[in-house]
Amino acid sequence: MTTIATADLERFIGRYSIGRDSNPLNPTESLHFLRIKVPGGFITSEQFRRVADLAKTYGRGYAEITDRQDIQLHWIEAEDALEIFSVMAELGFTTDMCGQSFSGARYGDARNIVLCPVSGVEKDEVLNGYPLMKKLSDFFTGNPDFMDMPRKFKFSISGCGSDCTRAEINDLAFVAVRKEDKIGFTLLAGGSIGASLPGPRLAKPLGVFVKPEDAFDVAVATIEIHRDYGNRESKAKARFKWLLENWGLEKFLNVLEEKLGKTLESYDGPVFLKQTNHEGVQPQSQEDYYYVNIPLMGGRLSSDAMVSLANLADEYGSGDLRLTPIQNIIILNVKEKDMLLKRLEEVGFSLNGSKLRWTSMGCASDFCGKTVRLHAKEIVREIVSYLEKQFDNELLDEAGFRIHVSGCPNNCCANSIAEIGLAGKLIRENGERKQSYDILLGGGFGQNPSLGRVIEMKVPADKLKHKVEFLLRNYLKKRKQVESLREFCNRHTIEELKSYLSSTDG
Amino acid sequence: MEKKFNLQKIGEKRYSLDARGLVCPYPQLLTMRALGSLSSDDVLEVILDNPPSVRDIPPALRAKGYEVSETERVEKGTWKIVVQTKK
Repeated sequence: MTTIATADLERFIGRYSIGRDSNPLNPTESLHFLRIKVPGGFITSEQFRRVADLAKTYGRGYAEITDRQDIQLHWIEAEDALEIFSVMAELGFTTDMCGQSFSGARYGDARNIVLCPVSGVEKDEVLNGYPLMKKLSDFFTGNPDFMDMPRKFKFSISGCGSDCTRAEINDLAFVAVRKEDKIGFTLLAGGSIGASLPGPRLAKPLGVFVKPEDAFDVAVATIEIHRDYGNRESKAKARFKWLLENWGLEKFLNVLEEKLGKTLESYDGPVFLKQTNHEGVQPQSQEDYYYVNIPLMGGRLSSDAMVSLANLADEYGSGDLRLTPIQNIIILNVKEKDMLLKRLEEVGFSLNGSKLRWTSMGCASDFCGKTVRLHAKEIVREIVSYLEKQFDNELLDEAGFRIHVSGCPNNCCANSIAEIGLAGKLIRENGERKQSYDILLGGGFGQNPSLGRVIEMKVPADKLKHKVEFLLRNYLKKRKQVESLREFCNRHTIEELKSYLSSTDG
Repeated sequence: MEKKFNLQKIGEKRYSLDARGLVCPYPQLLTMRALGSLSSDDVLEVILDNPPSVRDIPPALRAKGYEVSETERVEKGTWKIVVQTKK
């Protein structure tokens, strides 16, 4: 028997991995991606510059912010991985474990914990979720007890009173609430809108009140239930939602309380108090300070742009940045906001535009290799730019909608919970592969969450912007006095909406 | 997590590396190190259960001039590739 020298390698196993980009249609020649977990999206300018350097050295100067507040690099070579991991270890970052590529229900890990991106600085924040996020992230990182779960597990924590973390699509979501004179969390559980069984599910409110000091134990007990009782016979049935669907909420709560050794208080108040995505420039809870949320529409950044943003965060803020769950980036603790806005314009980042720039997102379908152009992130930019030319920004903002685009039916960019969701499908036309998208309308999250309905299927990618324009023109003509696009969509039949997508006189 | 990566001698000039349970890039890196520690004319069998590694390792090795056999499915979810060290 011969032992291979692997000490340098073993220090990374269980904390670092690279994922695979190389599906047949991938035009980018990227073999692997690196998904850097940035817990809660908290990152300093120095860390951001170092990640930019990794992108420049190993990833062709390209990076993308994901909808779980990670940073993803592509074109990563396996042979460079240890050097990259060493830098990441210095920065205090790890990666997703990419265990879902194994066949069978195994090697599931806890994914990056999504947190309200303005935790600790948002005015009127109910509760700062950062301490809970940090404690949980530290606990799960490299923890062998949680590396072989039936499948991945997703947590979110929102302390601001809004659903800026998309609680409904997480396995367990903590949402800060007030109960009488107490502050704590209520919970939603079992969310996942991917195709795995029993199909797309929005997380359900559990009607409980969790004291901040109990939240960590509740999170760990829940993920242990997933690990110990989740289905290991079938990968398709291995997400937490399957267990919850089969057990029912009552049984789950009984098992949870038994593990905790205490009964959780009930909570029947509202889960969400407001609707915000923290867009634009907002005053912080710290007097005279602002945060500046920079819309990226798809989350893509060059390494040079990353360095510019890091430098501006140093110059005009405290050097603190936050990645948002909508693929945007925030500079914190800014006093001279107008000067910062001017400087941002100079380096190519504009905050002028509709809210769609902050609320719309697309997946990395060009790297995924299951689609052809137009890819999801291209579609987002194209539609938003087109709509801003056709309509006043105020009208678009009034309609209060988001556009989520996934390149394939996997729903990676949560297309089924946006007011306008686009789910990619490859079609063949005259023997040629073409990209089409199914149009879903009426989805939404936060107050009164709903899954969107499929209204029209296999729409060619280049027709989408016109379809959306037609819908909006019909909405503006036919809406009730105070009616959002979602409400409008949900009071019309599929046939009616199909006609609204087809012409301005639908 | 305790991991020990050993090369098992399974025959005359024939060795086996068990890389099961590992995600990318570790199976590829371990395979390269194993090949580096063997003599010319040795044969290395690598046992894998991570489908991306199963797809990626053979072309990566061939690009470096190694002779790699067709991938063999040992059982459900487990594969074997056989690599000839460089002569």
